[in-house]
Amino acid sequence: MNDFDYLRATALDEASTLAKTPGTMFLAGGTTLIDLAKCGVERPGTLVDITRLPDLSAVTVDEAGATIGALATMSRVAVDAAVTERYPAVSEALLLAASAQLRNMATIGGNLMQRTRCAYFRDPAGYPACNKRMPGSGCSALENVTRDHAILGTSDQCIALYPGDLSVALTALGATVRTTSREIPIARFFVEPGDRPDRETVLERGEIVTAVHVPASAAAANSTYLKVRDRQSYEFAAASAAVGLELEEDGRTIRDIRVALGGVATVPWRAEAVEAALRGRRLGETTIREASRAAVEGARSWYANGYKIELACRVVARAIMEVGGIK
Amino acid sequence: MASLRSMELEINGAQYALTIEPRVTLLDALRENLGLTGTKKGCDQGQCGACTVHVDGERVLACLTLAVQAEGRSIRTIEGLASKDDTLDAVQQAFIEEDAFQCGYCTPGQIMSAVACIREGHAGSDAEIREFMAGNLCRCGAYNGIVAAVRKAAQRIQGAAA
Amino acid sequence: MSLTDSPAKYGSVAGSETASGPLGRAALRGDGSLKVRGAATYALEQPVEGVLHCVLVQSTIGAGRVAAIDRSAAEAAPGVRLVLDAGNSLTLAPMPDFFGNTPPGDSYVPFAREISFNGELIAAVVADTLEQARAAAALLEVTYEEARSVPTFSDPRAGEGRAVDAMTKEWGEPDAAFAEAPVRIEATYETPREYNLPIEPHGLIVHFEADDRLTIYEPTQWVDGTARNYAGWFGLSFDAVRIVSPFIGGGFGSKAQGLPHSAAAAIAAKMLGRPVKLAVTRPQTFTAYGGRPATRQTLRLGAAADGRLLALDHDAASETSVTGTFTETLGIVTKMMYAVPNLSSRQNVVPVNTVLPGPFRAPGKNPSAFAFECAVDELAVELGMDPVDLRRVNEPDHDFETGKPWSSRRLLKCYDVAGEAFGWAGRNPAPRSMREGRQLIGWGMAVGTHPVYAAPGEATVRLLANGSVEVSSSAIDMGTGTYTILAQTAADVLGVPVEKVTVRLGDSRLGRAPVAGGSQLANLMTAAVHKTALAARDELVTLGLTDPNSPLRDQANTLTVADGRIGASRGGAISVGELLAATGRDHLEVTRDTLPEADRTPEERQRMFSTLAGRGALPDLPVSRHSFCAHFIEVRVDEDFGTIRVSRVVTAFDAGRLYNPKLAESQFKGGIVMGIGMALLEEGVTDPRNGRILSSNLADYRIATNADVPEITTISVGEPDYDATPLGGKAVGELSIVGVAPAIANAVYHATGRRVRSLPIKLDDLL
Repeated sequence: MNDFDYLRATALDEASTLAKTPGTMFLAGGTTLIDLAKCGVERPGTLVDITRLPDLSAVTVDEAGATIGALATMSRVAVDAAVTERYPAVSEALLLAASAQLRNMATIGGNLMQRTRCAYFRDPAGYPACNKRMPGSGCSALENVTRDHAILGTSDQCIALYPGDLSVALTALGATVRTTSREIPIARFFVEPGDRPDRETVLERGEIVTAVHVPASAAAANSTYLKVRDRQSYEFAAASAAVGLELEEDGRTIRDIRVALGGVATVPWRAEAVEAALRGRRLGETTIREASRAAVEGARSWYANGYKIELACRVVARAIMEVGGIK
Repeated sequence: MASLRSMELEINGAQYALTIEPRVTLLDALRENLGLTGTKKGCDQGQCGACTVHVDGERVLACLTLAVQAEGRSIRTIEGLASKDDTLDAVQQAFIEEDAFQCGYCTPGQIMSAVACIREGHAGSDAEIREFMAGNLCRCGAYNGIVAAVRKAAQRIQGAAA
Repeated sequence: MSLTDSPAKYGSVAGSETASGPLGRAALRGDGSLKVRGAATYALEQPVEGVLHCVLVQSTIGAGRVAAIDRSAAEAAPGVRLVLDAGNSLTLAPMPDFFGNTPPGDSYVPFAREISFNGELIAAVVADTLEQARAAAALLEVTYEEARSVPTFSDPRAGEGRAVDAMTKEWGEPDAAFAEAPVRIEATYETPREYNLPIEPHGLIVHFEADDRLTIYEPTQWVDGTARNYAGWFGLSFDAVRIVSPFIGGGFGSKAQGLPHSAAAAIAAKMLGRPVKLAVTRPQTFTAYGGRPATRQTLRLGAAADGRLLALDHDAASETSVTGTFTETLGIVTKMMYAVPNLSSRQNVVPVNTVLPGPFRAPGKNPSAFAFECAVDELAVELGMDPVDLRRVNEPDHDFETGKPWSSRRLLKCYDVAGEAFGWAGRNPAPRSMREGRQLIGWGMAVGTHPVYAAPGEATVRLLANGSVEVSSSAIDMGTGTYTILAQTAADVLGVPVEKVTVRLGDSRLGRAPVAGGSQLANLMTAAVHKTALAARDELVTLGLTDPNSPLRDQANTLTVADGRIGASRGGAISVGELLAATGRDHLEVTRDTLPEADRTPEERQRMFSTLAGRGALPDLPVSRHSFCAHFIEVRVDEDFGTIRVSRVVTAFDAGRLYNPKLAESQFKGGIVMGIGMALLEEGVTDPRNGRILSSNLADYRIATNADVPEITTISVGEPDYDATPLGGKAVGELSIVGVAPAIANAVYHATGRRVRSLPIKLDDLL
């Protein structure tokens, strides 16, 4: 790691002010930042440790929704009784991520900011060209070994995958990200790479995520997160899906459905086409499987990641079947 | 250059004073500065679990924690697990009995993880133990023994508490 | 069920002269207490005062040359003591590796100017602190003249490579027999680069106590070979180099050779006159040593309608580096496993821009069995035969490769016992015939084998006045259980409880020992300790009978040593301590080796233990010596996702006598776990443009986690084989990984009807 200064913030506005200096970064759980600093990807001048800011780690669940403080750890939120009962997809996404140790360290706010696992991005010594590290420098991933790269939301500048799990569940459930200055619907929080792959979220310098709000809904209460990977545990998703489902009183007709995909796109990927295709339809395996094809509309594959197209459809279908009670 | 920083760390109930750069990880501080080499470095990038220690009672990875972040916290390492009279912790004893290791290099991390796993209530079944111990890689492949040891230690701890 | 609670008729040591003694018992690991406390001191944890920290810099091109390295920014960085590269490095004398590869020229510098692979060592930075050295290493400005590299043997420009003469073998008339065979199959099987990846990364502390005397704390599988290597590099005598390696955090074949990073640290220490510590980072380990090379094997099998093999043709290739030859011996299992009357086997090595590959658990045996045991399964399908029945039909009464009889081969017993425990008889042979919900269930089996190797060993046994015993040798314990079984061996001979025996290992100042590799060390060192302990007992008896001051003098013709006491069978006994005291001693020490001839010069002796020459010094035996095992494995494959989970493993082993069934069981299970990773997860991914390893970390190079491994059942059917080794054991450590990957591949076929011939079998193969 390069040499850096370390400051411990005691108040939000203090932290915001400190971070307005270029080269200053916020340090929370450190599981992404310290890792990337060791890789030479991040070279902070100053780290502002925000983990001791007061009042940012509460988890409050009421009629309107769940408000999760940005400094709550993943493990703590994952086992919160109200979250587990009313937002099972959130709890499951957290428990299927990383390892118990990392979940004890990583915070909810930091988890949103988790960065790609693209092997080229993580190796600046070996691959100086990376549009995500340095816009305009080129992309080493295009047309090469790309089993783990994105098929959705890509650009001709970057195909790096968003690796997270929690944000996929939050995207499905229509969460809002609260910051020191505003509320941002999660669908607008993450930014596709386009011609600026270095910009991954809409956060401005000095802006701090303070909480995530997940609105209550029947679909949220009947939700799941399904994650598929080669290794049974401690691995990023080859493909994943978060699904919330609400049925009509007949117990068969879909009133409301929320679908988002992980492990396949440059950002957490809402599959509105699947939702539209199923709203008002009767539950059934064939219907679900057909509708799930829409999850990969516009997908494009490179080299060895074409399997994700088929896999994504099947993961979506199985997740819907699971919340729909189809064995 | 950032200035050196003086800090005190509370480790296994004792206070350690040291003056290091902020970029020094807790793992390197333990191993290189404090001579507490029981905590192991297997990858130094959060992928193996060999450096697992407890901070304020929770299992974390020392390789992705800056030492300075642990100021004012209570740190526990493998050296602090046995009791003052050197009686082994139930998990340590079970690891020996079940031969839950070979080379021993991942073992301190496994044991620190297992102690936390039991305390968290995640040792209820073999499947649960496997999942909640998955963050500790063992290249010798002692996983069967590890599961057996965690199961046995959990039963003993629960038996003692009942 | 496990070895330790399996029926006594399996895994018993009946017939052994020492069956009633400590050897053969399931004693707890002797070094366990240290390891669970974090008190076992691994190399980089040795308290050496005033160490400087050394960090490596590796090349980022796959071929070409280093045009220039600008050291100035790094040299000016805080705390930096030295920046080393090919331009300012001390030169060493070149030393050959195991395989006879010697660096070209009269001198050796571990820092490359001419680049032959991506990740090659080019420079090192030494600073006061680890953080300073790491940061300064990032400041080196390296200018390359990049040439086009050929990163893998899949690159068409790699060509066919060159034949390895020693791997060419033919008997009978294979072409004609194949042409006439009524049932034939042909298929090509591939395995990727695989890496040993012990959880303790490579590294060392080097301390020159004087210009011509140094101590090295380094994890090594071969203390004596390592000492010889440093002595050669620096032109010193063997005795001037002390290697200290009491604990090794795993090696699996990767920690036995003198590697460039070790030379770099030693050069830094020498040039600076200060102790230097070097830790290879996890990503750097992927090119600091070679793992298993990628392999490709095409097999043609011809069989009679009743399953008898008539012809076998085996055409193999493995990668090597452009600078040296490492042969992953792919025909090794193919040639000896079954009764094959007509056989042709040959192998090429294909030079590519990679680090020189090296030994990794069961080198040769493991990929050899993958291809052959999959092919046999394909033949069984073609024949409509049960795969176990097909193997029974082809059980050989002798080794067809050497023509020798087996020292022992209880593979049929393995089929019986493991098959029954698994429930194999209930298998529906049709693919996709077993399922549970959306999970397809498959049952597969395959066999494994490992040769019994031999080399000389040496041990010292000291009997102390307090009745305790010390055993010492430079042999090592990397989790294999050497500490424990050597204590058991000495206790067995000397009639003392195991707790009374202290074992010291891993120090070149102790007696000589061969490499802990080839699954040989347990057999060789128990034999050496056994011989030495017997000699010590004899000396003690002689002392008792003949020393003028012995209270036991003239009491009997012989004396018995047991429970720390010595005496006549009828009459009084005194403690060993009393005898030693009465005869004016505080201990009795004996050193013996197992070299066939005693009269050798010190130089010859040293060469016997510190090179592979010792192996050749032993007489050729009239029997073929191998361990065997049969794996029966169940997998569950999600029919939508293609995810594969191993849900059951039952393996029966014929590894001869087990010196400690509990520790042997751990090794057996460990090999199976590694085999699960090999079958389903492990893959070195290389950038086809420049040869850079893209999976150079433990997240992208996936090894099995706890959650990937079911409860494994191991059953020993071995019996003491005194034709194989002096104390009746056969090969244990590497045996169990052999055959796991094909058993899983065969189970995946049974589950899905998909035959995947390239490892690892990933979910995308089954979508």
